Amino acid sequence: MTLMTMVVKMASGLEKTCAIFFLTLLFALPLGMAVAMMRGSKIKIISGIAGFFISILRGTPLMLQLIAVTYGPYYLFGVSVSRNKLIPVVVAFAINYAAYFAEIYRGGIESMPVGQYEAAQVLGYSKLQTFVKIILPQVIRRILPSMTNEIVTLVKDTSMAFTVSYQEMFTIGKQIANSETSFVPFLVAGVFYYVFNAVVSFAMRRVEKAMSYYKM
Amino acid sequence: MKKKIIALVLAMLIAALTFALAGCGTKENEDTTGVSGETAPARTSFTMGIDPEYPPFSYLDKNGEYTGFDVEVCKAVCDYLGWEFKIFAVNWDEKLVQLDSMECDCVWSGMTILDSMKEAGYVISRPYFDNEQVLVVKDDSEFNSSKDLAGKAVAVQLGTSGESLLNGDLKDLAATFGEVVTANSFTTCFTELAGNAVDAVFVDVPVADDYISKNDGFRIIDEDFGAEQYGIAFRSGDEDLCAQVEAALDAIIENGTYAKIVEKYPDIAGNLLLTK
Repeated sequence: MTLMTMVVKMASGLEKTCAIFFLTLLFALPLGMAVAMMRGSKIKIISGIAGFFISILRGTPLMLQLIAVTYGPYYLFGVSVSRNKLIPVVVAFAINYAAYFAEIYRGGIESMPVGQYEAAQVLGYSKLQTFVKIILPQVIRRILPSMTNEIVTLVKDTSMAFTVSYQEMFTIGKQIANSETSFVPFLVAGVFYYVFNAVVSFAMRRVEKAMSYYKM
Repeated sequence: MKKKIIALVLAMLIAALTFALAGCGTKENEDTTGVSGETAPARTSFTMGIDPEYPPFSYLDKNGEYTGFDVEVCKAVCDYLGWEFKIFAVNWDEKLVQLDSMECDCVWSGMTILDSMKEAGYVISRPYFDNEQVLVVKDDSEFNSSKDLAGKAVAVQLGTSGESLLNGDLKDLAATFGEVVTANSFTTCFTELAGNAVDAVFVDVPVADDYISKNDGFRIIDEDFGAEQYGIAFRSGDEDLCAQVEAALDAIIENGTYAKIVEKYPDIAGNLLLTK
């Protein structure tokens, strides 16, 4: 197999890697915000539930969560395992990443000085208006570096989908490495992930720049 | 300042490249050390590389100890040669990389001899088992031949000879399947089959027999996909080690130890090649 065929074959799996990446972000970003809001709730039960959700998902390996979400329903209730593996994979990734995002959001929200809330109240802003118009934009700006960190990790974590036999790029790389008894596919995979992350980092830097409108 | 940073980055890049190139060259180096290895001190221990989920050849028994036909034979070989017997559970799809990186001294775990292994320079022992690949389906399914599986999903373990076959000699058959799902262990393959995520599993016949005897609701499709054989893989340059192990195998076959182990595994006895 030439290097070119190798790259083309692995690139075909890149589509599935991207599917995990974008769908996870799509669901985990809002879900994380919901969990962060619950976590900050004054009602003890709600914040307790959110705290428990976070502790379980951060306290157990993503690989275990993938297996639990994919095969758990079958072992527990006899429900058929999904033929489209993307569904359980994205569910597992989304809840896992939502837990991490929630804690990042919470850190950002709690870093806002109380004075801002008081000032907004004096100016006649409602609680919702205060959050959406004053607090949230600053929170987003403040948490961007930590978010970039998590998102870059997500790119690399997609390779874990192999645990539940989802045929993404790294799985295909392993197949080629096997059939060709060659180490080259791993180098190719490394380059793919690096380029993917370079693009992500570049995009996040642009976002950071666009958000830095308060800075002189 | 900026210039200094650029210089530093360049220096790091060069260092990384040199390292990478040195890495590429290790294969040749290993070969030479293998040849000059005769002067090395006598071997005191032997680490066997196994797939820990490959019954009846290698698996965890009820007490949490590794056992199986291959494990017991290797242990007998080590006892005979006076070596300390060690086991290393490999990642099946990276077994040869792990062998090269000295994590184990051989891969001996129901491993099918592939031409690509010999071409890559690995030393392969005499074959000891006649193997064939079979399709396992659910008992209540309507599949009776590989033709019935057109458009269906078939699971195969990554790194097994079944996977190589579907990518090689049986490429045309694989193309008729709807999807070939590669899983990281054969247990996962069977979980997928039980959970209806796939319609069939392509697997070595002894493993299929063992699984079906322990679990209800599965059957083997009666169809021949060509014969293949199991052997033991050693690093390139380890011809002496291979010869030593083969000689020890002959000795334990001669003294009856081998036959005693075979008695414990009646299901596979018929396909064993090394007999008195």
